[in-house]
Amino acid sequence: MSADARIFDAWCAPGWSGVAASAGPGPAVRILRPARTRPDEPPDLALSALELDSARASALVGSLRAARPGLLARPALEIVRALGGVGRRFLDEGDPLRGEALEVMPGTTGLSPAMCRKVLDGMARDWTEERLEALLRAELPDPGALDGFVASPDPTERVRRRAMGASFAFHLSAGSVPGVSTTSLVRSLLVKSPLLLKPGRGDVALPVLFLRALAGVEPELARAAAVVYWPGGDDAFGAAEDTVLAEADLVVAYGGDRVVADLRRRVAPTTRLVAYHHRVSFAVLGRAALAGGVAASAASVARAVALFDRRGCVSPHAVFVESPGDGASEGFADALTDAFRSLESELPSGRMDDAEASAVQQLRGTLELRSAAGEEISVRSGTSSPWTVVVEPGGGLVPSCPGRMVRVVPVRELEEVPARVAGLGRHLQTVGHLGVEADRLGKLAESLARVGVLRMVPVAEVAFPPSWWRHDGRGPLEALVRWVELDAGPG
Amino acid sequence: MRNEASGMFETLARELRTLFARGVTTPLGEDAFDEIALRVFRHQLAWNDVYRRFCAGRSATAGSVTSWRDIPAVPTTAFKHLRLVSAPGRTPQAVFRTSGTSRGSERRGEHVVPDVALYRAAALPGLAARVLPETVGRTDPGVEDRPGDGLRIPFLCLLPSPAEAPDSSLSAMAGFAVERWGDSSSGWFVDPASGLRAEAFGRALEVAAAGGRPVVVLGTAFSFVHWIDRGSAPVRLPDGSRVMETGGFKGRSRSVEKADLYGALDASLGVPPARIVNEYGMTELLSQFYEPVLGPPPMGGRAPAEPGTRWHVGPPWVRTRVLDSRTLEPVPRGEPGLLCHLDLANLGSVACVLTEDVGVEVGGGFRVTGRAEGAEPRGCSLAMEELVEAAGER
Repeated sequence: MSADARIFDAWCAPGWSGVAASAGPGPAVRILRPARTRPDEPPDLALSALELDSARASALVGSLRAARPGLLARPALEIVRALGGVGRRFLDEGDPLRGEALEVMPGTTGLSPAMCRKVLDGMARDWTEERLEALLRAELPDPGALDGFVASPDPTERVRRRAMGASFAFHLSAGSVPGVSTTSLVRSLLVKSPLLLKPGRGDVALPVLFLRALAGVEPELARAAAVVYWPGGDDAFGAAEDTVLAEADLVVAYGGDRVVADLRRRVAPTTRLVAYHHRVSFAVLGRAALAGGVAASAASVARAVALFDRRGCVSPHAVFVESPGDGASEGFADALTDAFRSLESELPSGRMDDAEASAVQQLRGTLELRSAAGEEISVRSGTSSPWTVVVEPGGGLVPSCPGRMVRVVPVRELEEVPARVAGLGRHLQTVGHLGVEADRLGKLAESLARVGVLRMVPVAEVAFPPSWWRHDGRGPLEALVRWVELDAGPG
Repeated sequence: MRNEASGMFETLARELRTLFARGVTTPLGEDAFDEIALRVFRHQLAWNDVYRRFCAGRSATAGSVTSWRDIPAVPTTAFKHLRLVSAPGRTPQAVFRTSGTSRGSERRGEHVVPDVALYRAAALPGLAARVLPETVGRTDPGVEDRPGDGLRIPFLCLLPSPAEAPDSSLSAMAGFAVERWGDSSSGWFVDPASGLRAEAFGRALEVAAAGGRPVVVLGTAFSFVHWIDRGSAPVRLPDGSRVMETGGFKGRSRSVEKADLYGALDASLGVPPARIVNEYGMTELLSQFYEPVLGPPPMGGRAPAEPGTRWHVGPPWVRTRVLDSRTLEPVPRGEPGLLCHLDLANLGSVACVLTEDVGVEVGGGFRVTGRAEGAEPRGCSLAMEELVEAAGER
C-alpha cells in the first residue's frame, strides 16, 4: 500500500461504548488494501474495517437494541426532521459534508467524479425532510401509525392499527450503486427500527458520513444505527455475520442471486427476509422515437445506460427498437455511438478492474468475429472507453459485459417484446419507453406486467425513481414494518 | 485455389516443424521471429475470411501490419462461437474442445486442427526439455519418429487416453509423449465417464516404484487431488521421477494451494516439489508453457523448487505480451495485465490469442496471477453468468 494512501474509516457505531464514533483507526481495526489503481485514475483509498468477532458483534447488537425505546418514544415526524436535516446537507454545494462525500466517493465507488456528483444529487434528493415526509404519507398514510395505534380513515372501521418496525434489523447492500445503503439506513430509522448496516464495498462512504453527521446533532437517534463494512465471504467475519443474522428480526439485502440464496439458507424461518435480488432492465422505442429526432432519442437512451455505469438494477441492457427493416436501427446505433462518445466527456466512465475489462474485450472481439462470419450483428465501441453498442436482431436480454454496453434489437412491432423477455420474468424490472403513444403503451404495459416487468417510465426517468417507488413490486416502508391491529371491542 | 492454399499451408507447416525441431532452448531472435510471424499472419489473412474481416475492422491488413506486435488478437471466447480455420481444402485432422466450465449450460470452445503433426512437433520439444528426465530422448526431441532412440520410461497419465477422449488436446499431447518415449508399462488412468481408475493407478504406481526407472506422472491438478483424497498407501517412485500437473480448479473439486498439493504429492508418490512441474496450456493454443524447474535453465533463470514464486516460459516460437485490459496496449514491465500469446504453431487456426488470464512478465516468461473470467457480478444488476443460468432455467 502506498505511503500516501488515505484511509477511510469504513465504520461508524455511535452507540457502542466499545468504540468511539470518531475517525481514526482504533486498536481493533484492519486496514484493507485499496484495489490496484492506474496512474490516470483517482487516488487510492484504503479502508479501515472494524475487527468483529462473535462476541463483539453480539455486544454491538445489544447496544443497538438498547436504543430502541428511545427511538420508539420519538414522534415519527421529528425523526423525519432530524434525518432530513442531515440529508439536505449532501445537496448543499457549500456544505463541507457534501464536499467530503464528493471527495471520497470516486476512490470508494470506482465511479468518475462527475458521475459521483450526479449520483449523489439523484440519491440525496430523497433524503430531505420534504421527501421523507412524502414517503411516509405515501405509504402509511398516517405517520402517526408509527407512534401509536391510529384509527382508520373509514369511520365505520373499529380496528386501530399501528406500524411496528423490527426490534433489530440487519441491512446488507451490494455496493454497486452508492447511496442505496444510506437510503436503506434512513428508512430503517424512519420506521424506528435499530439497524446494523453492512454496505457493499462500493457504497461505504455515504452511510458512514451520514451517520457521523447525524451523531453530531442527534446523538440519541444515531445510537440506534451502526454502519460496519466487512468483506463479504471473508471467513474472518463469518462468525460475526452469523451472530448478527441470528439476532435480526428482519434482514434487508440488496445483492446478487447467490448472495440472496445464501442468506435464505442461513436465516431462521421466523426471520423476515426482504431481498432485492438480481434484476435486469431494458428500453423500448416506438417508431416515433426514430422518425423525428433520432439524436435526442439516442442521447436519452445513452444517458440511461451510462448512469451508474449501467450497474443499477434500473439500467437498461437492451433497447428494442421498432424498425421496419429499413436500416433505421443501424442509424440509431450510430446516434447512440455519438451520444456515448460525448457522454464520456460529460460523465466519464469509472474504473473497471481487470476482470470486468477482460469481459468487455472478450465479448467485443467475439461479436466482431461473429459479425465477420456473416451473422447479423454489428459492433461499435470506444477503443479505450468501455462503451459498446451492438445491433443484434437475434439478440435480446442476453449475456452482456460490464460497462456501458447496450444491445439494439430491432423488432417489427413492440408487441413482440413481452414474449422475447418472458424467459427472464423473475428478473425483469424497469422498462424505459420512448415514442410509444399512450393507448398503445397501456396495452403494451399490460403484456409486460404479465411477464414480470415492475415499472415502466419514460427513458429519461429510469435512473432515479421517487423514493416511494414500489421497489421490486412492494413499497419500501411496507417491507420494513409489520402492521399490528387492535380491536377494542364494541362500545 | 484450394490446392494453392493447401500447398502454402504445407510449405509453412514444414518450415515450422523444422523450426520446432531445434528445440526450446535454441533462441529465436526478434527479427527472425517477426519474419515468420508476419508470414503466418499473412497466410491466415489470405485463407481465413472471418479473421481477415475481423482484422480489417481493426485496421489491420497485410500491408499495414509490419510487426508481430500489431497482429490483432482473437479472444478465447470466440472459439465457443466459431470455427477459426486457416487451411481451406484440408479436412481437419482433429477438433479439440475445451472442457467447459462449472456451468453446464455454457458452450465449449472448439479448436480445429488441420495438421496434427504440427501439434506434435510443437508439443514434444517442450516436454523433452521441461519434463523428461535427462536420460530420456534428450538427444532427439525432434519430430522425426525414430522408435528405439534413447531410453523409454513409464508414463502414468491421470487422463483419458486419446482414443477415449479424441477431443482433448491434453490427452493428445500426452499421447504424443507416450508414443515417443513411453514404455509398455505406460497407462491411462481416467475414464471419461467414471473418473479416476484408482485401483489400476495404484497398481501401476507400485510396479513403477519397484521398477527402478524414473517415471513421469502426468495429469490434471484436480485428478491429483482426487487421488490424494483417497488416502491410498504412499509409494516411493524411483529417484528422478517427476510429475507434470496442469489446469486449475475452475469450480470443480476443491481449491487447493499449490504448496499443499505438492507437499501431498511428495508424501503420496515420493516426488519432491523440485520435480513437480506445472504446465500452462489451453485448447486454443497448440504450444505449451512450463515452469522452468527442470531441464536447462532458460535465459531468465531456473524457477525455485518451492511453488508460490514460480513462473512459466514458452518455446521460442511463442511470444507473450501482457496487455492493459482496457486498451490492449502493452503494460509497463512488471505490471499486471491480460496475457496475449502469439503462437506460430497455430498456423492452421489463428495465431494471436487473447486469454482471460491476468499475469505479469517475469524473467523471460510470465506468472499467472489470476483469472479474469467469471468475475463476481456487482450488485443488483444482472450479469453474464446469472443471465445464462436464468435463461437456462426456462
